[in-house]
Amino acid sequence: MLGSPRVVVGGGLVLLLLLTALLAPWLAPNDPNAQDLVNVLLPPAWATGGDPAFPLGTDNLGRCILSRLLYGARVASYVAITASFFAMLIGTALAVVAGYFRGWVDWTISRIVDVWMSFPPVILSLVLLLAFGAGVNRVVLGIVLVGWTRFCRVLRAEVLSLGRRDFVPAARLLGFSHLRIIGKEILPNALSLIVTLISLEMAVAVIVEAILSFTGVSVEADIPTWGVMIADGRTYIDEQPGALAFPALAIFLAVLGFNLLGDGLRRLFDPRLGLSRSQAT
Amino acid sequence: MSLLSACDLTLSARLGRTRVDVLNDISFDLAPGEVLGIVGESGAGKSMIGRVISQMLPAGFNVRSGSLCFDGEDLLAASPGRHRELLGDRIAFIPQEPLSGLNPVLTIRDQFNEHLARLGVPRAERRQRAIAALASVQLPRPADLLDRYSFQLSGGMCQRVLIAMAFASNPALLVADEPTTALDVITQAHIVELIHSLNREHRTGIIFITHDLRLAARICDKLLVLYAGEVIESGPASAVFADPRHPYTRALQAANPPLTGPRRQLVALPEQMPGLQALAQVEGCRFGARCPIADAQCRSSQPTLREVGQGHTVRCSPGCEAGARRGDRPLLPQDVALPSTAPIILELGGVSKYYPGNRTWYGRRRAGVAAVKPFDLTIRAGEFVGVVGESGSGKSTLARLVMGLERPTTGSIVLEGKEVAVPGSVAWRHRVATTQMVFQDPQSALNPRRRVIDLLTQAFESTVIPQQGDRAARARELASETGLPADILSRYPHQLSGGQKQRVNIARALCMAPRLLVADEIVSGLDVSVQAQILNLLLRLREERNISILFISHDLSVVRYLCRRVLVMYRGDVVETGSTEDVFANPQHAYTKALLRAVPPDEAGQSWTPLQAEAVDDAA
Repeated sequence: MLGSPRVVVGGGLVLLLLLTALLAPWLAPNDPNAQDLVNVLLPPAWATGGDPAFPLGTDNLGRCILSRLLYGARVASYVAITASFFAMLIGTALAVVAGYFRGWVDWTISRIVDVWMSFPPVILSLVLLLAFGAGVNRVVLGIVLVGWTRFCRVLRAEVLSLGRRDFVPAARLLGFSHLRIIGKEILPNALSLIVTLISLEMAVAVIVEAILSFTGVSVEADIPTWGVMIADGRTYIDEQPGALAFPALAIFLAVLGFNLLGDGLRRLFDPRLGLSRSQAT
Repeated sequence: MSLLSACDLTLSARLGRTRVDVLNDISFDLAPGEVLGIVGESGAGKSMIGRVISQMLPAGFNVRSGSLCFDGEDLLAASPGRHRELLGDRIAFIPQEPLSGLNPVLTIRDQFNEHLARLGVPRAERRQRAIAALASVQLPRPADLLDRYSFQLSGGMCQRVLIAMAFASNPALLVADEPTTALDVITQAHIVELIHSLNREHRTGIIFITHDLRLAARICDKLLVLYAGEVIESGPASAVFADPRHPYTRALQAANPPLTGPRRQLVALPEQMPGLQALAQVEGCRFGARCPIADAQCRSSQPTLREVGQGHTVRCSPGCEAGARRGDRPLLPQDVALPSTAPIILELGGVSKYYPGNRTWYGRRRAGVAAVKPFDLTIRAGEFVGVVGESGSGKSTLARLVMGLERPTTGSIVLEGKEVAVPGSVAWRHRVATTQMVFQDPQSALNPRRRVIDLLTQAFESTVIPQQGDRAARARELASETGLPADILSRYPHQLSGGQKQRVNIARALCMAPRLLVADEIVSGLDVSVQAQILNLLLRLREERNISILFISHDLSVVRYLCRRVLVMYRGDVVETGSTEDVFANPQHAYTKALLRAVPPDEAGQSWTPLQAEAVDDAA
């Protein structure tokens, strides 16, 4: 696993994000919400006019950009983890039922997914959030309600093809119940795909959360998030480009990390790709 | 002047840091109009020869030394452009899988046009040329065929289309890689006959790659027997087949059950051919580890090819060979007629399976399909009953009916006096405990995420038959009973060889000591030497456990070796039934006759006339 550069780089970025989120209170030099109206729109510390107390400068209200960035990682990773986990739970459950039992169950679930997926995902989250009201758990709910369809569609195909393998009727003939076949024969074989999908879903969750907070329908006003920072920094882009650039960079790195990790894991788990690599070396 | 000559061709593959010779010092000569058979089991490197000719080698493989000359031109030195010119025009290929050889989204006409355009046939003539080519492979109504797609044709028809395309350019050389392996025996006979007649007509040189020594001996002029990338025996086909000198060639013959004459015990070679990894470590003779007569010298030095007759060479030391004359193998114990008092295990009365057609949109049903027409069958304890027939004849549906995976449309299936029932009921519990099924393809039937130890005792997890006890102990028991080494218990299926996987597959079915096994084509994916191991294992199980088997196979000689009684199925109908000896010696139904005649005979002297005007057609 350590031989794959995708997994190492992606995993490293993800680990960095999670550590930042966990250790934000200790890492942050300032209170992320403390306003210092004397020092508004300060450039980063290394630029002329910078203040070492604010390593990445301050925004229009004199809040420390670095501290807000570090605290923003908390929302990003919390949303990424919980949203992708619950999306996985719902998506996998429905996918397994559809792919294993086929017939009209499959037809019904697949049509629901089709209809669901034909809504533009971000608009759907926006509408959902406007209905629910702000709050970080409502953001998670909004992302889960959009994200489960992706899991469901991809996994259903996998379960469908696993179900055609002879080990399923073989287990049936050995007296296994459907539940046991799903748990012991199907799911272990789909696990690698699930892990991969979770990782990709996390990247999507980070983006959607940023979009939602950018439009101002995400979390409460006193919680710093990257999307809010971008929205705030947008107005003062000429005076202090860092207020917009740094959170954008953070989002970019987080998404890159999740995508690289997911893609790396997919390649690692795919026996066909694995085979060709071992032959070539 | 030879058409294709290979001289000391060595192909090596990179494996991590080491290099392995996948093909070692291959030399042969093919004259125009000659048929060269390349015979070997999977992994012998026979397909690699075709790939060297087409220069479609897998990544990491390259020709290390030697030469390959086509019509005086060095193929290995030819530029890619020149090579492309030759392929498809002067050198043609027929693939193993006829269905994947054709593009499913293009009609036969499109694919012919593309090919003919490449050959420089003017647009106006293409249609005529295509029809003529299709007619030359005896396809009925070639003009109609042009507008069909490959998936609308049977495997045999697809293979004929591919042969027609291959011969459209009137090639000098044809490479046929297992062209009949995916086909039924009767279709195989037709295809082989066709290739043969085209070979005579066009004087095409043919390389016929196959795993079937009997078939190769029938249609080839010369044979090359390959083992682990080396030619271990070569010479005129008749000489090699009538008097094989290498212990491996002999073993191949001895591992193939005969269709006529006395039934002798098959001699199975231990283990199987070394894979690439193992090959890197082999010292001395590559066959040494499995050779029954290897001595100390064989383990230290590599034997060389030496001449033993007119053009007949063998890679074995003279000392070894002297002691290896074909000893008569012991006869199988005569099947004592089972007493009619032996308990009945399975009784099928008037069982049939009928699939209703789909409803059309206005509610009328389309005509359905009779997968199995009504028939009766009784299996007693300790009895092996064979079911033969081509693909689509209803054999597998029969297996699924017996196992309760499908409900019969009519009739009753009684297992030890109890009606077979739906999953979940009390009778289902009885079914699980008394009958098990062995699936055809262990690759698909063994969960890749389970270790062997869990696979063998998978039944212990069943909710239907709660079984306490030590799983590991039972797994060890099953492993030793089926000849599996104990150290594989902690491995995953992908770490096993093909033969080992099939043993695990069988052993798993035996876990709860069933009375009846339903075996669906369980040896058809295996190499002959491994097949012999499995067949002998089944015979031993009968002796030790008095187990009954419903043995489904398309291979007549295997059925004859194992089964006392046989059912012949044809398009869902049981057309003939009786004792195996009677049915095979004196077939009554036209289909059985055609089936038996399509099998290449065992002895060199016997003539083979697979095709006679029969009522049975292969076009379906």
